[in-house]
Amino acid sequence: MNTSALKPKHQRFVLLTIALIALIGAALLAAWALRNQASYFLVPSEMVATPPAPGQDVRLGGMVEPGSLKIRADGITVDFVVGDGDARVPVMFSGIVPDLFVEGSGVVAEGSLRADGTFVATNLLAKHDENYMPRELEDMTAAQKTQVVAETE
Amino acid sequence: MREALDQWTFVIAAYAVTALATLALTAWSWLAMRAAERRKDRGR
Amino acid sequence: MHGFANPARFLRIARPMTGPLLWGGLLLVAASLWWGLTGVPAERLQGDTARILVVHVPTAWLGMAGWMAIAVASLAELVWRHPLAGIAARAAAAPGAVFTAVCLATGSIWGRPAWGTWWVWDGRLTSMLVLLFLYLGYLALAGAVDREGGSARIPALFGLVGVLNIPIIHYSVIWWNSLHQPPSLTTGGSTMAPEFLWPLLTATLAFSLLFAGVVLARMRALLAAAQAEARLRRRALEG
Repeated sequence: MNTSALKPKHQRFVLLTIALIALIGAALLAAWALRNQASYFLVPSEMVATPPAPGQDVRLGGMVEPGSLKIRADGITVDFVVGDGDARVPVMFSGIVPDLFVEGSGVVAEGSLRADGTFVATNLLAKHDENYMPRELEDMTAAQKTQVVAETE
Repeated sequence: MREALDQWTFVIAAYAVTALATLALTAWSWLAMRAAERRKDRGR
Repeated sequence: MHGFANPARFLRIARPMTGPLLWGGLLLVAASLWWGLTGVPAERLQGDTARILVVHVPTAWLGMAGWMAIAVASLAELVWRHPLAGIAARAAAAPGAVFTAVCLATGSIWGRPAWGTWWVWDGRLTSMLVLLFLYLGYLALAGAVDREGGSARIPALFGLVGVLNIPIIHYSVIWWNSLHQPPSLTTGGSTMAPEFLWPLLTATLAFSLLFAGVVLARMRALLAAAQAEARLRRRALEG
């Protein structure tokens, strides 16, 4: 009698605990990820307006400006400029660049700002936009391209 | 320096994961349904 | 609403639909995977890995749609107290969890060659991982209630509260800077060439049909188990 009176209460307690742990876990995970980086990276205009302390780990994201990519004589260090249309930040990186890291495409650089305003990256990630175009289109003339895009829309 | 990955390895891996998981889910759900309905009919 | 709430009427509709949805869906899935592998061209920047999109996007959609189904069914269960709604919510949980896991796995496999990393803690990836944990929590909770008894309202409440995560997943790439790209398909149109769009839409339809078939099959299994148990209980009372 005693045990059967306790049992449903006990079950409810276990169930509520499971639910609570799951909820708290989910909330904590979300909070942890969104800590001070609900945004995964800073864009150049944010970095220029309020520069992070030199040496502080941050991420910089934007477009690799066409014509800015240069490989140094050591063959492993690259310099390029990341821009967002309003501001530009020079970036230096030594190491293996991702397969799809090209001028005119998106990049997210992990690293820190040096006192002279150059961003020293320790890791590069290629970032894609939402546009999907077949490779063959690249070889077309501008006029053909506009026509294909117009047909798509 | 650039890393060169064979893209097709990744494409095949992604499709294999999807195909296996989908097949397993379908077979599991179908067999569980058959077993449950047979058990119900047997007890009649 | 109440027409479907009658189990006998539900079974009359569900029985002839389960097989065609399951096997037709599976056939269409196979066809769309073949189309994705052989018919989609290499993308301008991503190259061959863009083909992963054909499996990644439909599974992402079903992972999110699965929880929306759970939330709607849970609401119906809480408001109208009809057990069939609870059975529908339970039936959607396992396929939803599987497709969420497949979405995370294929996204990770795409991320390695395309971004240069398997995983980042950006808004989209993190909120999708939270969705997987919500599914696992729901399955554990619903399983515990079925095995050990307890109020069916607890998983229903959990299913309802968890739907908060769905808009977060959707808007994560719009609200915050993220490594994940913003949606290509919006109500305003598509930023995708038709060579990518049509295989993607076909695969989405195929996986959705299969998902519906899986949910019907799991609902029938849960109903049959409940009926068998009710009969056992009746016999025990009579005998």
